Amino acid sequence: MKKKLRLNINLKSRHVLIILLILCGGLAVTTLTTGIVKDPVRGAFVDMVVPFQNGVNKIGTRLSKVFSGFQDVQKLSEENEALQARVDELIMENNALLQSQTELERLTELYDLDRQYTEYNKVAAQVIAKDSGNWYNTFVINKGKNDGLAVDMNVIAGGGLVGIITETGDNWSEVRAIIDDSSNVSAMVASTSDTCIVSGDLALFGSGKIEFSELRDRDNIVMEGTRIVTSNISTKYLTGLLIGYVGSVSMDANNLTKSGTIIPAADFKNIREVLVITDLKQTKENSD
Amino acid sequence: MRRKAAMLFIIGLFLLLQTTVLSRLPFAIVTPDIMMILTVSMGFMQGKKEGLLTGFVSGLFIDIISGSVFGGHAFLYMMAGYFSGFFCQIYFDNSVRLPLVLVGAGETFLNLAIYLSNFLLKGKLAFGKYLAVIILPTVAFTVLSTLIVYPILYKINHLLVERQKEASSSLWIRE
Repeated sequence: MKKKLRLNINLKSRHVLIILLILCGGLAVTTLTTGIVKDPVRGAFVDMVVPFQNGVNKIGTRLSKVFSGFQDVQKLSEENEALQARVDELIMENNALLQSQTELERLTELYDLDRQYTEYNKVAAQVIAKDSGNWYNTFVINKGKNDGLAVDMNVIAGGGLVGIITETGDNWSEVRAIIDDSSNVSAMVASTSDTCIVSGDLALFGSGKIEFSELRDRDNIVMEGTRIVTSNISTKYLTGLLIGYVGSVSMDANNLTKSGTIIPAADFKNIREVLVITDLKQTKENSD
Repeated sequence: MRRKAAMLFIIGLFLLLQTTVLSRLPFAIVTPDIMMILTVSMGFMQGKKEGLLTGFVSGLFIDIISGSVFGGHAFLYMMAGYFSGFFCQIYFDNSVRLPLVLVGAGETFLNLAIYLSNFLLKGKLAFGKYLAVIILPTVAFTVLSTLIVYPILYKINHLLVERQKEASSSLWIRE
């Protein structure tokens, strides 16, 4: 053991560099070609880190409460938080109601349909960590498999869609936000059910917006402020979750489809608490 | 050995700070990359080998926690640490000017590489937009943070090196 240690110390930096370069290459090839190494290592590592992140997070929240000062203020902010949660819930509910109403009006003309939008089951969770860089919009929440969460569950906050769970551990889950550059959500106009694609765009997000495209606006009614919700043809996103309101819209060069920007309903800059909808679209459809 | 454990602890601590507190700073539009500051500072203060080892471990941790391809960030951070190690010979006092430049260069290199490998290859060609929205703010904010972080690292480094000196000969200080 001692001999080995000394040998290591005497290695020149150039040689260490070469060894580590080969190691990097090897690691990259293994993770790209097989999933054998990556998932267990990542799971174990995050399992280890999450308690600390939770701790730091709690200290941070407490500190920020201290900073926010006097007890009255604190009381107010607590009350405000509770009320905000209630408001979020109501917006959500209202959204579902509006949705079912327009759906009902349209469908009752066609046939007798008894299916209603059900109240989804939700679990509240706290955001405890963000991705380390600025290129990706993913975050970690403090609930996982133990609380019944699973991959592909939808995450909402502030009455609007926030993202989707991409990975779960025992007591953590990773959420990819809809503002992430690689995120694409199948969406529709709430009133007419015309579909479009909502995609995150890093370059746009600086101005607090996301992008939509491929909208076939047959009745030409989409304008600023039109509600955009998740569509019924998406395989992963539940139907009728509010994404946001149209910020700008313009006709594409092909003169058929429209594209533009959406102001998301959820406030992505200050996400602290989120609600995870524990109903999965796939199983929901299957059980019906 | 104790020194290596201390470094590992510091890297872990920085990772935690980076993923929790720093992304929540109310005035920050982007998160400063303190892992880069750590890597570059170590390379600058202790030489190529320390720099590249610190960079490798930091990058690997980032790879694991962000779930990207293992070895990607590890490679980039390692190179940044290695190259800042070349300037170790002119490290003599706690002046923050050269580290500022080195951190700026390292962070620019890192972000350009991420853009090239993950965005340009996906056909996202609007480089100007990414430059204005992500790359420049990140570099600027990281360089600014160096003003605060580097003096702290400088002190930690001194403590570590002095303890090492007492323990054995000055094997660790320079190559």
